[in-house]
Amino acid sequence: MSLITIDTVDKFNSLIRSPNLSVIHFSAEWAEQCKQVTEVLQELLKLPEVQSCNSQIGVCDAESLSEVSLKYKVDSVPTVILFKNSQQIDRVDGVDVAQISSKVKAHSTGKAISDVTSKPPLEERLKALINKHNVMIFMKGTRDTPRCGFSKTLISILNGVGVQYETFDILMDEEVRQGLKVYSDWPTYPQVYVKGELIGGLDIIKELQGNGELESTLKA
Amino acid sequence: MVYTEEYIKDKLIKELDAVHVEVVDDSDGCGAKFSVVVVSDKFQGKPLLARHKLVNSVLQEELKTIHAFSQKTLTVEQWNK
Repeated sequence: MSLITIDTVDKFNSLIRSPNLSVIHFSAEWAEQCKQVTEVLQELLKLPEVQSCNSQIGVCDAESLSEVSLKYKVDSVPTVILFKNSQQIDRVDGVDVAQISSKVKAHSTGKAISDVTSKPPLEERLKALINKHNVMIFMKGTRDTPRCGFSKTLISILNGVGVQYETFDILMDEEVRQGLKVYSDWPTYPQVYVKGELIGGLDIIKELQGNGELESTLKA
Repeated sequence: MVYTEEYIKDKLIKELDAVHVEVVDDSDGCGAKFSVVVVSDKFQGKPLLARHKLVNSVLQEELKTIHAFSQKTLTVEQWNK
């Protein structure tokens, strides 16, 4: 599945007519933030819960389809609007990645955002996540597409050491993002865990690198 | 609230009996990104993580709204080297 390009009003209308979730990204060539949103939407498309519900995601140029933009009061880009049966059911104005992810996921599976009873209590989930790999990094973005300067620097340091690690994108999960800060009593991201124990953030990694302790700490 | 370098510096000196503090607002006065250097003997005998947690707890309220933060923590001895 890939992002659908919507270049005509007819295509737009036929897409949103679907009883399944349609997510439309109103975008513009000149807006850097739209590229970010498009990438996020592409990632969301790969998620099993989005695919299994036959959700569709499309991108249209807000200025070319100006009558549609006007109809749905799209005053700025990026704007993401969610539709079912031609009805607008939700929207996110601006590049709020966390909201876009949670809304697309929630509306795909048809569950209310707060009512996810199939998930184990947050603490257990966090514990499992932290221990998923010997070296776990909680960061903004992914190792190939970091979405913050500190996260980006951290990844390049780790790649330099040559240790195996796994990452978790906290932008995709607001619950983990806030919960982990409380759980480990650490207010910022990125966060590095080795064998389930918090090592710290970028500053600490840099300092360990400086005293030559980084490799031994990561390969503990 | 937008925090200034002065405010953060004063708080760190006061709460950590710091002998030397440098605070730089890397967001050009927007109060969104800070880097700090703190020299205090309260860090004596504490591992890195504990030192950083000490600074984090002093700035607990502020860190809720500051977007990015980096810190260097040194004891008086380390600083004088």
